[in-house]
Amino acid sequence: MQGPAKKPPLGIFPFLVAATLGVFLWLIQFVFFKAPVAQAEAGGLAQKIFYFHVPSAYAMYLCGVVCLVSSVAYLLSLTDKWNAWAQAGAECAVVFGIMVLTSGPIWAKKAWGVYWVWDPRLTTSLLSVLVYVAVVVLRAFAGDGEAERKFAAALGVLGTVNLPIIHYSVRKWGGNHPTLISQGGGGLKHPDMQLALGIGFLAMTLLSVVLLALRARQLSLASRVGRAEERAVAAGLTEGT
Amino acid sequence: MQQAQGTAKRPEDRSTEFVAVEGGKETASAGTLLVAAYLVMWALLLAFVWIGWRRGQQLATRLDSLEKALDRHDSAKS
Repeated sequence: MQGPAKKPPLGIFPFLVAATLGVFLWLIQFVFFKAPVAQAEAGGLAQKIFYFHVPSAYAMYLCGVVCLVSSVAYLLSLTDKWNAWAQAGAECAVVFGIMVLTSGPIWAKKAWGVYWVWDPRLTTSLLSVLVYVAVVVLRAFAGDGEAERKFAAALGVLGTVNLPIIHYSVRKWGGNHPTLISQGGGGLKHPDMQLALGIGFLAMTLLSVVLLALRARQLSLASRVGRAEERAVAAGLTEGT
Repeated sequence: MQQAQGTAKRPEDRSTEFVAVEGGKETASAGTLLVAAYLVMWALLLAFVWIGWRRGQQLATRLDSLEKALDRHDSAKS
């Protein structure tokens, strides 16, 4: 008889979680107590939303790229592992996308006087998040068959193809959205502003890696449990639901 | 209100820099908006983690029932 299964080693994951928490605490205290207030036209104190609004957008791009690469890998290999990473990428892209789409309008209320304008960057960002929401909804409600997985993977590729359009929209079209980073990153005129943004990027990179790894592992386990259930039903050990 | 002043018609008319200002005259509403944005962000994050934890629990329940089925099978055999 087989003994109890060995617990898989945690590796560097606990250190990654600890580092994420540490960097976030540092970011929060730095943004609130050290980073200078910007000019009134940029929203004044509300401009500090920038230090996690932009890193959240970057994290959405990162998760989108993970979704794209994993979706393509899934379409080529049809393995549970890549399907799990593709789904995790889409889910995390939705989470970071919603962060962007809620923090941005709150800042815009102060800087522009309105929560939302149909600026090209805002519109393309919304479109991209909606594509990822469609991927998540499809995976949640359309079943977990191979055809559904393939369709979700193709939709995930489509969502990520939109990301460069978001990035370059501020260069190509007019609108309200500032373009500090896209034009060489010289728009932050104080070293503490630059440092706060740098910490923000680091914090969101760590957070996205933690969330992606956690979710992909969980989805991978769910696939394995699903297959074991199918085998148990086929062997007459349990009744199918 | 910048929107009332007109949306930039060309890419080069967009805002391109943030400059630090001494003292920074501020209203309470900007602070409230800042805190609200942070709270919304953390609420979203916690909701995602909580949903993940719930899914983990569901997975554990499914594993439990599989293990029970295997136990039943083993005891029926012996």
